[in-house]
Amino acid sequence: MAEPPETRPRRAAVLSAAVRVLLPIAVTAAILVVLPRFWFGDSPYTTGLAVEALVFGCYAVGFNLIFGSTNQLFLCVGALAGVGGYATAILSDRASLPLAVGVALGTVSAAVVGGLLAWIAVRRSLDVIFTGIVTLVFSLAFTQLLIGQSDLTGGDTGHVLERAATNLADDHVGGYYLFVGLLVGLLIVFRVLQLSHIGWAFRALRDNETAAELAGVDVARYRVYAAVIGSAMIGLTGGLYAYSLGFISPTTYEFAQIDVQVLVIVAFGGLGTLLGPVIGAATFGFLDRALTNSGQLREAYYGAFVIAIFLFLRQGVIPTVTSLVHRLRRIRRKEAEWRPSS
Amino acid sequence: MTAVILDGIVLGLGFGLLGVGLTLVYGLGGVLNLAYGEIAVFGAIVVSQVMNRGASTLLAVAVGMLAAAGLSVLLDLTLMRPVYRQTGEQRTLLGLLLTLGVAFVIVGLLNWKYPTGALYIFVSGDPISIAGVPMSAGSIWASLIALGAAGLLLLFFGLTTFGRGVRSVIQDETGARLVGISPSLVRTSIFALSGGLAGLVAVTRSMTAPLTITQGFTLTTFALIVAVVGGLGSVAGAFLAGIVLGIVSNVSAHYIGEYITEIVLLGAAALTILVRPRGLLGR
Amino acid sequence: MLLEVRGLAAGYLGEKVVADIDFELSAGEAVAIVGSNGAGKSTLLKAIAGLLSPMEGQVLLDGRDLTRRAAHRIARAGVAYVPAERHLFPAMTVKTNLTLGAYPHRPDREVLDLVFDLFPRLRERLHQRAATLSGGEQQMLAVGRALMSRPRVLMLDEPTTGLAPKLAKAAFEALEGLNETGLTLLVAEQQVPLALSVADRGYVLENGRFRLEGTPDELEANPEVRRAYLGVA
Repeated sequence: MAEPPETRPRRAAVLSAAVRVLLPIAVTAAILVVLPRFWFGDSPYTTGLAVEALVFGCYAVGFNLIFGSTNQLFLCVGALAGVGGYATAILSDRASLPLAVGVALGTVSAAVVGGLLAWIAVRRSLDVIFTGIVTLVFSLAFTQLLIGQSDLTGGDTGHVLERAATNLADDHVGGYYLFVGLLVGLLIVFRVLQLSHIGWAFRALRDNETAAELAGVDVARYRVYAAVIGSAMIGLTGGLYAYSLGFISPTTYEFAQIDVQVLVIVAFGGLGTLLGPVIGAATFGFLDRALTNSGQLREAYYGAFVIAIFLFLRQGVIPTVTSLVHRLRRIRRKEAEWRPSS
Repeated sequence: MTAVILDGIVLGLGFGLLGVGLTLVYGLGGVLNLAYGEIAVFGAIVVSQVMNRGASTLLAVAVGMLAAAGLSVLLDLTLMRPVYRQTGEQRTLLGLLLTLGVAFVIVGLLNWKYPTGALYIFVSGDPISIAGVPMSAGSIWASLIALGAAGLLLLFFGLTTFGRGVRSVIQDETGARLVGISPSLVRTSIFALSGGLAGLVAVTRSMTAPLTITQGFTLTTFALIVAVVGGLGSVAGAFLAGIVLGIVSNVSAHYIGEYITEIVLLGAAALTILVRPRGLLGR
Repeated sequence: MLLEVRGLAAGYLGEKVVADIDFELSAGEAVAIVGSNGAGKSTLLKAIAGLLSPMEGQVLLDGRDLTRRAAHRIARAGVAYVPAERHLFPAMTVKTNLTLGAYPHRPDREVLDLVFDLFPRLRERLHQRAATLSGGEQQMLAVGRALMSRPRVLMLDEPTTGLAPKLAKAAFEALEGLNETGLTLLVAEQQVPLALSVADRGYVLENGRFRLEGTPDELEANPEVRRAYLGVA
């Protein structure tokens, strides 16, 4: 049966919209998928570093939603990931639940915790710095809890996931593609949010909170939404990371190991931008590799790099590049106006 | 019980001393100096290096404190300039991120140069029993120093002209300029003071147990918690918060247990911040 | 010539709010700058006091160039400024606020007594925190604090803001008394009759430039002034 004429242009519009929405992600996904063939060769070490970078990228997308989009300084990314990771480990090993269920429950738990933190911060009207401090305290307390409850969590010595896919721990490439898939999935969620009315509300509230409130944006509600979704992302990543590593300990999800890097990655890439976390994670992945042989001076170089970024590239990579492109376009347009017509 | 509380107060004064430097710098410029703990550790390493070269403990401590103060001033005069050009939230965030970078640089350099660096000041003397609680000579000295420093600081900020000037900058910077006070001079002086205090804290801590380079981060977080609970910008608040947290910590350690104590402490801090975000003595 | 301002221009974010400002103050004079909201009175005073960096021109005190100096240096040179926002130290007592006015010196007993004679209310509230004072009392404290530094020139920006008419009049009477003891005054004020009541000379500031100048009598007789500022047809 022939298609009625009215649906054809609409279909085309929807298709082009879908392309516009997903193009940056598709390009990123394509690059990530072919990367191992050109870049890593057979080096499991490099692949391992790449997996790390991907994991941080995933954390960063979640954090970008919470901090980059709604200005909530959640210095508990590690703890949220730990909720996901330990829930997965405990539920699948001790409670003998299938791994997928464990991961799902871990994700939900993290989302609940994140939402709770956001709700508290909103109820007490905590500003950015205080939210940061409260979440930091939570982070530290969580690590202590993990160490203390050793019969449940394995304490300091850590916990081996019996149900983990042992082939993943050895087969880094498998782990690589798992996290590429996760990252792309998270980016799609972020993109959909970004382009929806929720994303509009986020931008309004980041720009000027009071004005947004006056314009009818329920800041409190959107903050909690962002926290719940972002925390779910982080918890999911944490759970899958536990699954792929096969072994976790309190230090896996420690503040010093995770939060600092995630904050720097997101700030470097560009707060609130779609690909900022990806660029940030990639850059720091490369930096990590470059610094492998610096031995003890690694930390010092890392610190110097952080200082340089925030002195010179304060807006983050993507906003800086975007404004540069705009400026160039404006200059070119002005030149075109002055060129005499032939 | 009294003994436990007394011991907690003594412990708390040390906490307070830790928080004072951080709270002052924030009160004056809106900057959270996350490199604070590393500056303390740097001071400790200087002290231990000077002591290794045969100097007396007193001289070494003085040199260490001066070195920490100097490093602080260097930080203020260089990296803090672009931070002060920002205002409000932007300033706090940028200050946070830059000092974070500095913390990494300091700890990285220290680890590289002195990988096994640590400071331990052995204080000779038998343990004395105070109110039924045995305290090592090192603890006693550390407590006396903390007490003395606390007293001097409170006197300084309460009674001297310069101390009053510092408080005025915290309360209304423009007003301070109008009465002839230079906020940037005050800021730099206080950065120096906070550095010296960091060094002093490292020294007092090393009297009870060796202070290693890895403890920098813990010191910073602790200082942050004490400063926030006490009220950012309040010297008296930092000491009060320190004492309260010290008592809570000791009581909990005595009656409940070591592991839970950390969590209780963190929980108490979080509770205070949530119930009274501006802190015990904050405005 | 105590204070000279030559060709001063100042503003915010590259935009000039006041321009071509030329005037002089002799020691012991009281000069009023009148103008409506937005005319630039605050900007002008802030530029002289150093809270704002002038874009053009010069400010000289006793021949000394104070242009673009830091605000605290200008304060120490003897130019005391009482802004409209007052900028008191809220958690500090009246006593401490006054004491700080004399920074870096210790407060002079004589000057303190003078301030209490002028504003007896402050002595009553000596140990009260500045934030808990009423608007009028805060204004008194702000002026008192400025006086503690024994300034050569006292500049006030809209000292009657938030004051009831009776208090406003009392404030200007106090200022007149101060001027009679030899203190040089520069007052920016919207309320023209009050301002001119204390002044030896006045300037009318409109859209950032001086439009008129003269003695109080000359200005009050001026038909433009009468229409624009005195509400007389």
